[in-house]
Amino acid sequence: MPESASLQAKQLSYEIAQKHILSDINLSLERGKVLGVLGPNGAGKTSLLKMLSGQTASKQQVEWCGKALEDFSPLERAKQIAVVNQLNESVFALSLQQIVRMGWLPHKTLLSRENEQDHAHLAASIAKVGLSDKTHQTFSSLSGGEQQRGLIARALVQKAALIVLDEPVNHLDIYYQHQVLKLLRTLAHQQQMTVVMSLHDINLAASYCDHLCLLNEGKMIAQGPVEKVLEAKTLEHVFNIPCRIRRDDLTQNLRVDFYPPDEQEHPFMPEVMQYPTTTDSDQGHSS
Amino acid sequence: MNNRWSFLILLAVLSPVIGIFFGAADLPPKELYQCVVGQCSTQINSLIFWEIRLPRVLVGFLVGAGLAVAGATLQNITRNGLADPYLFGVVSGAGLGASIATLLFDSQIGETLTIFGMLPDVSFSIALPVAAFLGAVFAVTLVQALAATSFGGRGEHMLLAGVAVSFMLSALSHFLLFLGDPFAANKVIFWLMGSLARTELWYAWIMLPVVMGSVLLLLLFGRRLDALLLGDENAKTLGINVTAIRLMALAICAALTACIVAYCGGIGFVGLMIPHIVRRWVGVTSRALILGCVLIGGSFMVLVDIIARSALSDQEIPIGIITSAIGSVFFLLAIRQRQT
Repeated sequence: MPESASLQAKQLSYEIAQKHILSDINLSLERGKVLGVLGPNGAGKTSLLKMLSGQTASKQQVEWCGKALEDFSPLERAKQIAVVNQLNESVFALSLQQIVRMGWLPHKTLLSRENEQDHAHLAASIAKVGLSDKTHQTFSSLSGGEQQRGLIARALVQKAALIVLDEPVNHLDIYYQHQVLKLLRTLAHQQQMTVVMSLHDINLAASYCDHLCLLNEGKMIAQGPVEKVLEAKTLEHVFNIPCRIRRDDLTQNLRVDFYPPDEQEHPFMPEVMQYPTTTDSDQGHSS
Repeated sequence: MNNRWSFLILLAVLSPVIGIFFGAADLPPKELYQCVVGQCSTQINSLIFWEIRLPRVLVGFLVGAGLAVAGATLQNITRNGLADPYLFGVVSGAGLGASIATLLFDSQIGETLTIFGMLPDVSFSIALPVAAFLGAVFAVTLVQALAATSFGGRGEHMLLAGVAVSFMLSALSHFLLFLGDPFAANKVIFWLMGSLARTELWYAWIMLPVVMGSVLLLLLFGRRLDALLLGDENAKTLGINVTAIRLMALAICAALTACIVAYCGGIGFVGLMIPHIVRRWVGVTSRALILGCVLIGGSFMVLVDIIARSALSDQEIPIGIITSAIGSVFFLLAIRQRQT
């Protein structure tokens, strides 16, 4: 493990009702890097994120900047680590600004007031995610991508050095997927924020992450730079589906093409696919 | 927004002033002014002003403010717009506590027990709010436990648990009242409907510190209460101790409801209705909501009490009848709005 690592997990294990959710996970990440957590459903991605963000107790196994997460008070931890979860419980009509300003909470005592600097930082954070014109709009009226960017703005207001996101591009269309991930990569590379997120789309992960870790059945299968983790044999084993890895001509990013198991004989020949032919009985119905 | 706050403050100042003008006896404005400065023309007028109208308006305002604040707090911490002290069983719990206090400290059974030294020597006026508070806490605990274990912990299920507990505790408290006094129908009606008719000025001196203390605490923790609107998981990631904040808020709701129910009975639907009106006017964040509830809730109750006192010429309508009539329609509209 590199000495400069900001986030470190050592022999991380987690079990529920004697069932191993995570086993012996070792992980390290330098400040200002983007880590993508990959794996099939039930691999333990969410559990790993919860442990890395301190939402699940980890018994001194996770360290942030050399200090065990267990040794942070909840408020201290919130000043360092922002968690972006999907917001689907907002019953009352909170505005985008009201949700973003909640990022102040770890920094404010019960009696402290909001000052000019706070307001400037709030406006700058909303501007940074490109939502200045929606500041006073009801949060639930925003599109999925805008909501996700709004929550990232809250993390900026929170002044956290580590942002943990659980499937941040789920349910977003392709445009917003790229917009949100590009924003996160920019924050990491320009502001030295460390980003850890789980993703289902391996190609998006290959495009926007500096490091990847691949989980399967609670175990770390591979981790490191994108080129090291994305190996056809490993991915085929983890996802149980044939694949091919190539470099994209335009972006030079690695791309993974998966093929449905029943078409593996002819993956690049769609013309051999059998289309249903019209039968005599069908013709009889249509006439 | 400033105009709206100015209007609410004006309403909160004017409604008690208007409330003092209304009543069975005819007191002209000049006479009222003289009473305010301590120079009532007759002893009877002085009695009407200081012993009847002023206490009624002050207590009415505190009751409305307290119930609205309790309702708003319950709605925010449960993220359920249909929560209120009545539907959550808190009113019935406080009623049960008050009934037990009545039975032990203000009935023949109580006298018998006191003679045999089985009851502490506590005055009824102290035992009543304390017992009501304990009853309210009991109801809150029961609803939370039922919702978490038998009903799956979802907001709607918590409400169902609250309604069930409410009926159960009401039945128990009415039974106790009849046990203490076979002719307890009046007391039962008082607990069911609520009333400001028997209000005395010292009620206000008990309610005032409870309401003010609760409002100040809620304002102080307002930002943290707001975080609960995002859901427990999200609130925790902001460094909020969700369990402690929720317990504190529930204790405040129990205290507010208890001190109101102990003296004025169960006045329904104020806690449900007012927070919804306030949210539309001044927003959903806790600090604005709590302040708005104090101003609109207090004014609403004083104005409804004017109707209760003056709608029928020869008798007074229990105030709970009017609030329930308005509130039940509002409740249906709120459910309808949730579905659309």
